[in-house]
Amino acid sequence: MATTATLTLTSADIAGDPVNVSKTTTCTKAGGTIDLDQSTGMNRIILRESTNKLLLGATAGGNDLSAKVYLINKATDPTQFVTVTINAQTIGKLYAGDWMFLPWSQTDTSADIEVAATSYTTAGGSIPIEYCLFHEDSIRLADA
Amino acid sequence: MATTTATLTLASTDLLSDTLSMTTSATLTTAGTSTGVTQTTGLGRKTTTFDSSGVIDTVVLFRADDYSADGANKIYLKNTSTTAAEFFTVFLTGDRATDVHGNADPGLTELGRLYAGDWAFFPWNATGGTKEQFTVTFANTWAAGDTFTFDGITVVAADSTVNNIAAQVDAAQYPNWVTSVSGAVVTFVSRYSNASLEVDTSEAVSVTAGDGTGAVATTVEGTRSVSDIYIKPSVHTAMTLEHMLIHQ
Repeated sequence: MATTATLTLTSADIAGDPVNVSKTTTCTKAGGTIDLDQSTGMNRIILRESTNKLLLGATAGGNDLSAKVYLINKATDPTQFVTVTINAQTIGKLYAGDWMFLPWSQTDTSADIEVAATSYTTAGGSIPIEYCLFHEDSIRLADA
Repeated sequence: MATTTATLTLASTDLLSDTLSMTTSATLTTAGTSTGVTQTTGLGRKTTTFDSSGVIDTVVLFRADDYSADGANKIYLKNTSTTAAEFFTVFLTGDRATDVHGNADPGLTELGRLYAGDWAFFPWNATGGTKEQFTVTFANTWAAGDTFTFDGITVVAADSTVNNIAAQVDAAQYPNWVTSVSGAVVTFVSRYSNASLEVDTSEAVSVTAGDGTGAVATTVEGTRSVSDIYIKPSVHTAMTLEHMLIHQ
């Protein structure tokens, strides 16, 4: 079930010498070498909310298990950004084309990941985003 | 303008019934523009060690006060350990008075754990807190040779003019404060946000032969920084985190 994530970070001119970082990780369950075996699959939504909306709800069963969040802002207008928060605290802003790949502890059910198209108004500013969760916990389905 | 590109490739042949193969690239730009970011800390490594498992504590990796708030900053982190059970926990300093997420670190918001070999790449808004400010007003009769001492620095008055003494105090360099001067009043601003500072004349000490004074008045109360990046290793033996901040 091996899932690999590779980061390649390059710049010829941000420093006096070129930056060329390439790292690959195999996504495993917490504290071991067993591969992560679950995923939400790739999701796409059009974000039309200037206030925080739930993207991924933390589950108590996921507390301190391994989980990786991939999120990308697919807007092409450089002024359009998505504010990403965890536990109601801002992590940062993803500008057009920016992506993130972040471990997620789900320390408790307050550790939700939320997003907002902060500059959205009814006149415009909706932002397409794509996201995917790779995870270990098996109780992500809501009770029927 | 620099051009910096971050590319992510996600791949799996067996996680799903169909092959997962996805590549995306982002050219890192300043907030709201197409202009490339031009600053970086460079690639660095930080090794943490503690005397025993009972004294493991958090370590500051990046202080928000050092970078542009709400800038298009990006952080790269990697746990270089090869021992599967060893992890770094990555935190933001919290913006709430009490811990609401049930762990043992009130004041911190846990992002996640980087296990051996794991890396992360994420945006960072770098919102600091408020820096403490106070003024020192030099007045009355000073004489050459009188002293003003603060933050481990002692300034010896060259003459008896309070404006000149204030200028001397401003010209000195303080480890934890920056200064400006207007007339006989020197304004001190803490280098970092901090809610626990309160300076009075027992810390900013004027010693004069006459009746010279250096009155201290707090003008801005400091508050804590709310998005410093802290890390905490899972073991007290040496663990190394690789890191780089790209910022505007």
